[in-house]
Amino acid sequence: MTGILRRDPRQEWIARNRLHPEHERVLAELGQGTAVATEWVGPNGVIRKNPHAVGFIGPNGIKRIDRSGVQQAASAGRGVGHESAAADSRRRVEIDAPAFLVAVVPDMAGGRLSSHDRDLLGLARQLADADSEQPGAVLAVVFGNHKEDGFGEAGVDRLLHLDEEVFDGYMPEARLAALSTVERELAPYHWLLPDSKLGGADLGRRLAARIQERPATGVWQIEKDDACELGWRCTARGAAGTTDIQRALPRVVLALAECAEPVSETRHAVQPLALSQVLPPLLGRIEDLGQVAVDPAGVALAEAEFILSAGNGIKDWDGFHHAAKVLGATEGASRVAVDDGFMPRHRQVGATGTWVTARVYVAVGISGAIQHLQGIQSCEKVVAINLDPGCDMIKRADLAVIGDSASILAALVDMVEQQREEKRDAA
Amino acid sequence: MLDSILPVLIFSALALAVIGAWRRVRLWRQGRSSPVPILKGLAAMPRRYLVDLHHVVGRDKVMSNTHVATAGGFVLAAVLMILVHGLGLAQGVLGWVLLAASACMFVGSLFVARRRRNPPARLSKGPWMRLPKSLMAFSLSVFLITLPTVGILPEDFGSWILAVALAAVLVWGLGEMFFGMTWGGPMKHAFAGALHLAFHRRAERFGGGRSTGLKALNLDDPKSSLGVETPSDFTWNQLLGFDACVQCGRCEAMCPAFAAGQPLNPKKLIQDMVVGMAGGSDANYAGSPYPDRPVGEHHGNPHGPIVAREGKALVDAETLWSCTTCRACVEECPMMIEHVDAIVDMRRFLTLEHGNTPNKGAEVLDNLIATDNPGGFDPGSRMHWAADLNLPLMRDVKQADVLLWLGDGVFDMRNQRTLRALVKVLRGAGIDFAVLGNEERDSGDVARRLGDEATFQSLAKRNIATLSQYRFQRIVTCDPHSFHVLKNEYGELDGHYEVFHHSTYIAELYEAGRLHFKPWKGGTVTYHDPCYLGRYNGEYEAPRNVLRALGIEVAEMARSGYRSRCCGGGGGAPITDIPGKQRIPDMRMNDVKETGADLVAVGCPQCTAMLEGVVDATAEIRDIAELVADALVTESDPHTQPTAEARIAIKEVAS
Amino acid sequence: MQPEAHAKAALEVAVLVSIGRHPLTGRARRADQDARGVELAMSLDKARITLMHAGALDDDSESALRGYLGMGFQTLTLVEQPRDADVIPALASALSETKPQLVISGERAEQGEGSGLLPYLLAERLGWPVVSGLASVEKVEDGVATLLQALPRGQRRRLQVRLPAIVTVDAAASAARQSAYGPARRGELRCTEALAVPDEASSEWTVQPARKRPKRLKIVKAASARDRFKAAAAKAEGGGGQVLTDVTPEQGAEAIFKLLKEEGVLR
Repeated sequence: MTGILRRDPRQEWIARNRLHPEHERVLAELGQGTAVATEWVGPNGVIRKNPHAVGFIGPNGIKRIDRSGVQQAASAGRGVGHESAAADSRRRVEIDAPAFLVAVVPDMAGGRLSSHDRDLLGLARQLADADSEQPGAVLAVVFGNHKEDGFGEAGVDRLLHLDEEVFDGYMPEARLAALSTVERELAPYHWLLPDSKLGGADLGRRLAARIQERPATGVWQIEKDDACELGWRCTARGAAGTTDIQRALPRVVLALAECAEPVSETRHAVQPLALSQVLPPLLGRIEDLGQVAVDPAGVALAEAEFILSAGNGIKDWDGFHHAAKVLGATEGASRVAVDDGFMPRHRQVGATGTWVTARVYVAVGISGAIQHLQGIQSCEKVVAINLDPGCDMIKRADLAVIGDSASILAALVDMVEQQREEKRDAA
Repeated sequence: MLDSILPVLIFSALALAVIGAWRRVRLWRQGRSSPVPILKGLAAMPRRYLVDLHHVVGRDKVMSNTHVATAGGFVLAAVLMILVHGLGLAQGVLGWVLLAASACMFVGSLFVARRRRNPPARLSKGPWMRLPKSLMAFSLSVFLITLPTVGILPEDFGSWILAVALAAVLVWGLGEMFFGMTWGGPMKHAFAGALHLAFHRRAERFGGGRSTGLKALNLDDPKSSLGVETPSDFTWNQLLGFDACVQCGRCEAMCPAFAAGQPLNPKKLIQDMVVGMAGGSDANYAGSPYPDRPVGEHHGNPHGPIVAREGKALVDAETLWSCTTCRACVEECPMMIEHVDAIVDMRRFLTLEHGNTPNKGAEVLDNLIATDNPGGFDPGSRMHWAADLNLPLMRDVKQADVLLWLGDGVFDMRNQRTLRALVKVLRGAGIDFAVLGNEERDSGDVARRLGDEATFQSLAKRNIATLSQYRFQRIVTCDPHSFHVLKNEYGELDGHYEVFHHSTYIAELYEAGRLHFKPWKGGTVTYHDPCYLGRYNGEYEAPRNVLRALGIEVAEMARSGYRSRCCGGGGGAPITDIPGKQRIPDMRMNDVKETGADLVAVGCPQCTAMLEGVVDATAEIRDIAELVADALVTESDPHTQPTAEARIAIKEVAS
Repeated sequence: MQPEAHAKAALEVAVLVSIGRHPLTGRARRADQDARGVELAMSLDKARITLMHAGALDDDSESALRGYLGMGFQTLTLVEQPRDADVIPALASALSETKPQLVISGERAEQGEGSGLLPYLLAERLGWPVVSGLASVEKVEDGVATLLQALPRGQRRRLQVRLPAIVTVDAAASAARQSAYGPARRGELRCTEALAVPDEASSEWTVQPARKRPKRLKIVKAASARDRFKAAAAKAEGGGGQVLTDVTPEQGAEAIFKLLKEEGVLR
């Protein structure tokens, strides 16, 4: 066929007229193979839609529209081409002569920007880009080695990379000395640090105390307010997260995760920056002796993030303990397993034991007494492995596998070990 | 010749006994003061002994008769012996009566001997094994020496050897009966027991009364001690009570913690207190030890600690924390010893002074302080379970006939079902009721049993203040623990209420014709008596009446009524959680299994939780309120659901 | 508790305690982390422990402070300060007078600003090092303390710090012992006067109960509305419980494995 659109006014008219006796047939023709066309290219190349043909009649005789796109997926071959073009449509932004600097000290957990860091950079961009006439630049101060190559996409204009050995490990004094030097040389308009345990929370408070600025901690929202000294107002959590404090935004800000949307539309220059002075040698009073090996089984149940919990249905206890070890899960137990002496009392989960807050709770052979279910109320994902498909735990579970727990655990262990093996080989 | 030594023997034995008694009294007087009417108590003693004590002893007919014969014979024989042989008043009938008395005592001692041939495990051995022989020695020798006195035998019958032999046997008998009585022999129980009955700390218990509420500590006086640290911190009449123990082991046989293999034996505990009072080690104790705790490792003295902060003293803390406060021991004790009071007194010290409530205890107490409920739930969420029930709140209505006390079961999903059922029943009977809602707090039961008197009083006082704002006729609750505390323990803090357990109230409503039930169609049902309803408050009948009204014939468990076995949920025992060999609720469900019942009716949220926690149980657990609610025929719309009689009546009218 | 005989060899420890606030009922209580700090101090060998609080004395704060005494102390030093005062100058001068070797505090207060700055500001003023987030103190020898710092997921890091120092306690440190009523009632609050410096900045703040933070929507980079719908709907679908019946153990394990990976709990 040629690319010229041919119109058949009569057919189009019939397609619009639902009462026309040939309406269905014409729609089917326009729909090219599907039972009834919901979309077709109209005159002028505009997509026309027939809303009446969308959806299906549900079991109750009510029309249902599935917006997940499943229905349309088959006929939606046309759209595919657009996506690849959209992938890299970020605007490049270069700020050559910034009016001011917004310094961000990301945690760089694992050598990469964490999502908390990215949120913080998003916040920094809000501060820097507030006045489009006089944009500021976002300066990231990064300590030690890193593996991150997406600073630009995250919104960093200037990068001060302090890659010296003294910063490795828990070296708050050395880092603080470096930040003080940055303060002296570059005098950023704002200092932003993540209010995250052992990361920015610690360093940020040290910095604030050193440069004698009263920081705002636990900040989760900022808004423009010209009445304030720096032109911004912030909302911060106080009193262990039970109050909101509205106050003027100070120079040093320790912000919570999700304080702002991360940068997504722009790509920034990441110009390297260096300090003019050499950092003075420092006589530290805190010495990091390195991490201590800790057995996951010893982690307190209430703190544990991932719990493998055993109940009455467990027959192969060695297998269970082995699985917990391989998965790196903390062991929990139902009351019955404790009463029967298979697990110690402090491992009991439930209203009468420990209330747990795990992100993933795997209940193996636990039928789910009401007290137990109460104890796992605040778990995010519950996985149940059980022989009885009718038990209450299955009803609670986000994923339930009906079957013999021993063999399922064994298969899971194999799978995890195999994957670890592959990773090791690849590395 | 006997004539001349007899008075000497008798009076020297009496003198020794008096010295011993004085020493014993001094031991008791180490305790704190506790005002009791001395003369009135002494006057009431015979009645308390003959009626109240024998009421308990009489549960075992053989032993009861044995004791009547032996003790009655002994008292009579001893008095007469002093008159006849000591003072030489041998004239007339006295000698004959003495003969009869000693004969009676001898017969009794034969039964005692029979019992000691194969003694059950609960009985203490040691010196108690010689008691029947001593009794025989006494009764026989008195009998024989009286024979010449009344003239059956000539005055100078037999040789001097016989006389010496007889005198020796008599010395043995007198030694055991008079000397041993006050110097710590088995007969001590008679001496201490008699005085214990006279000066009992809970005089209300006698004459059919009931006294089960714990006694309050005076917290306003900063000098007063908080609970019991040393044996001398008990009141003197508590110490006297410990001394009265006859080591019969009935408490041990009934104790659920002992049966479960937890380190508690009420008898041993009382004996340990005696050891502490006198000073020394428990090595001479001859009964069953605390399970898994060997005898001889503990020692104490009147002014030394009972429980050591570290290491061993007189008693281990676990022993005290094993108790479920079910009062089975107190109910069984023929000497009317108050074990539970003593245990809670010692717990008070551990909690209030040591700050050492085991396991979850500390957390529960902190929760009670901070949130007024043991689970640490938001007190503002107390009524969430009833969001759809539209319960009238006292705050709005200010007055109602019935104040429905909900208890902490509002936070427990299982108990919420019971509460819903109870609300349905009350509505079905058209009762004007209201709840306190978020103004209600924990009654303080758990805090008090865990020894935290301060938290109990704080909760109780605030509850009393809340209750005083509203007008109501009576309080109804489905929690026997709250029931007991409101009824029996708030009085001391000036909260006096008419409190009903829901089973009693439902029984009353049924009697009054305000509830109508469908006939029972389920299987066999047994009933589990909650300790705090039964033993603590004597309510055994009302729940059974309700079940009968439902058309249920209760298949009673071997241990029911006042002998009901605890579910293991009382006294904070599930919180302190002392390990044993088995669990108390498992044993109870075995009791249920023996009856073959398909369903256990209960009347307590604790019992429900404990029994329902038993795995592979053979019976379903339902609260009485639930059974009633299920069987309820609502009268609100008789036209749509006419009963059979009503239908006939309508027909008659029509014809 | 405080053996005078060992005074020479003893390690002087000061624990800074604050008035806590129960998260549900708002009642005054021992602050959780501070109480853990006291417990940490009590676990030290031969320590002479001083409890110190700076703030106002009223019924609520007294009951909370007595909570600390109930852990087994005879006295608590109360540096009296008005309610809105900046307590740092007063605390700093109190500490420089008593000269403890080790100062222990919680990470942040349960009421007021709760910024967690206090240990840092004190350290800056006194010129002492500060270490945050301790799980325990392993030993103190020759003026050097070996500490275990709590890392997430129950991990630990060993640190050494030269004394005098200020340390803060993590929630992973061992829980505080029960506060007993008797010692709490008997204990003495030893009040000392100190110059009060009002905290002026905080008077300009507006404080209200914490609002629930909006849950962040999953940001989907998608060109069309349909794709965004798809992503949103895919998330919602996961909420329903999925039950796998009649699967081989391998298939079941596979499904679980996938979920564990998604949640990122497998290391």
